[in-house]
Amino acid sequence: MKWLAVPALMLATGAAVATPGPAGPDAMPGVANPVRARQHWILQCQGCHRADATGTPQTAPTMAGFVARFLQVPGGREYLARVPGVATAALSDADLAEVVNWSLARFDPAHLPADFKPYTAAEIGGLRSKPLRAEASAMRARLVAEFDETDVTTPK
Amino acid sequence: MSGLDKFSEKVTRNVARATSRRSLLTLIGGALTGAAVIPVLPVSRAQAQTHGGGGDPVAPQSSGNPQDPGDQTKCDYWRYCAIDGFLCSCCGGSPSSCPPGTEMSPITWIGTCQNPADNRAYIISYNDCCGKSSCGRCLCNRNENDRPMVRPQANNDINWCLGTSSSVYNCSTAVILGVALEQQ
Repeated sequence: MKWLAVPALMLATGAAVATPGPAGPDAMPGVANPVRARQHWILQCQGCHRADATGTPQTAPTMAGFVARFLQVPGGREYLARVPGVATAALSDADLAEVVNWSLARFDPAHLPADFKPYTAAEIGGLRSKPLRAEASAMRARLVAEFDETDVTTPK
Repeated sequence: MSGLDKFSEKVTRNVARATSRRSLLTLIGGALTGAAVIPVLPVSRAQAQTHGGGGDPVAPQSSGNPQDPGDQTKCDYWRYCAIDGFLCSCCGGSPSSCPPGTEMSPITWIGTCQNPADNRAYIISYNDCCGKSSCGRCLCNRNENDRPMVRPQANNDINWCLGTSSSVYNCSTAVILGVALEQQ
């Protein structure tokens, strides 16, 4: 029955996420524990987004080299927290904020705005209470259309 | 005490007068038949079969590693704690590789299983092998941490042959991705 304790403790440790982690110059903003964030990525996201966040056209859109561009357009920050896979992930608000911050820094550091403010548990908690459903793909298409196409760093 | 004697004598005589030896035989016969019927009930059969499968003539396979104990062609091998499908070990593959002629799905569902050798939780990825029709051997259905359809990313009943050139399901693997963190 020990396996039952794993998700339970994952949720429990989420409450204690405010404990400071290693904060060097290379620390990811808003990520208290990168190892824990990566494990949450593996258990909650990687199955569909793949280990390198490239996804597949049929299942999950690519995040690698792309996802932080949503932060550059109005409404994009909210979209990233309300998209179904994020909003309904079986994680506490604090753990979810951490893994979102981690995936932005891990998979698309080039597009992370210089003034990026990490998601907080409170912000994520508010946004995920209004999860997107079928309208997610339409909103995504609208946001992507607003991306600055002069940005040459975008992989095609 | 004589009251008790009289009472028990009365009861005994009443029983003897109201019932026959044949009715006792009927009762015993009914009980015997009833007991024989219980294993036929689906509850009992499900219990006897545990995780499904069994009876497939596949030779035992072991990694030979004491850190990875168990028979990899049996449903109760530790890495299969949430598997639902045919074991690739019985189909020409292994717990971590696909049979020849099939393609491993890059899209998987991922969970944790406890390794009995060190009692630690390992992160397991259930990659389906796709591109040939169902293997049909060693059907297992264990569902630790399986979630209903409303959480498709953690549901093992759906076909995970996604992102492959063919969506035809052949068998399932259980690939170790790493050791899960110790919980504080």
